[in-house]
Amino acid sequence: MSLLGWCQWLEHTPLATAISESDWLFPLIEGTHIMALPLSVGLIVMFDLRLLGLAFRSGSTAKMMGDVVRWSKLGFSVMFTTGGLLFMTQAGKAYANGFFRAKLIFLLMLGINAVVYHAIFYPRMAEWDATGRTPLGARVCGALSLVVWIGVIICGRTMAYQF
Amino acid sequence: MMLALASFLDWVAKSRWLVYIRDSSFGMPALQSVHLVGLTILLAAILVLNLRLVGLSMVDWSIPSLVRQLKPWSVGALTMVVASGIIMFLGNPEKYLASYPFLFKMTVLVFAILSQFGVLRRLSTMEAGATPGRREIFVAGLSLTLWFTVGWAGRAIAFV
Repeated sequence: MSLLGWCQWLEHTPLATAISESDWLFPLIEGTHIMALPLSVGLIVMFDLRLLGLAFRSGSTAKMMGDVVRWSKLGFSVMFTTGGLLFMTQAGKAYANGFFRAKLIFLLMLGINAVVYHAIFYPRMAEWDATGRTPLGARVCGALSLVVWIGVIICGRTMAYQF
Repeated sequence: MMLALASFLDWVAKSRWLVYIRDSSFGMPALQSVHLVGLTILLAAILVLNLRLVGLSMVDWSIPSLVRQLKPWSVGALTMVVASGIIMFLGNPEKYLASYPFLFKMTVLVFAILSQFGVLRRLSTMEAGATPGRREIFVAGLSLTLWFTVGWAGRAIAFV
């Protein structure tokens, strides 16, 4: 089955049709998707500001990451669940949408960025907390995350105008 | 007075740059994007503060220092949200003034801002490591409820 064929099949699954046919399910899921932005992306942006030295400078970076990531996991689980459901109901249109494709590429970039951060910088956070200096590479990860997440929001909002 | 206001809004809505923003293909998505990015940062700052208030996150920070750190970002984000919101409103005032979710949103927004700047300021004496009392938990719950109600009402404008 082609990717487009899979999208069209997805759109006609009982779950997807139930959401499209209901008057209130789609607005509820879409609203939840948007209202989970601060708890997911917003908290990550707060930590990006810390990495860039633009806020929360005086505290421990390692401690803040623990505090922020724990809560953002909750936000992202809501995000991916609702996002998956929204995609299902309009998979065919989303497939052809340039902004949706850009959003997926951005999300992939952010995933790679997070893995790189975890592998290279995360294990040594206690060291730079002691010296008070954030390595350049970690700051680059923070800047990338900040800019690309904003890109995800812009693409997510704009794609809906083309449906 | 009301008539003068109505004709003023009508005049603004017909101004050339507002019509351009409203009717161009990128104007509304751009405004909505600014609105959402601002909302994300503003509500994240409010979340961080309220989670701290109830002792669930960032407990090694005192409330006054956390407020100081969050202030420039929340003020900047609020500016983004309000400015983009005003431009959207001015492009189509009759539609928004006739929309119950919009009127409800503006009412709750006033309470949200009042609770944020009024009550939270009084709590700003809480030191690092201090455990929250019933009052802190109530204020944090109220603040989050009000702000997220504003968000939901905003979403409802498009659907009702």
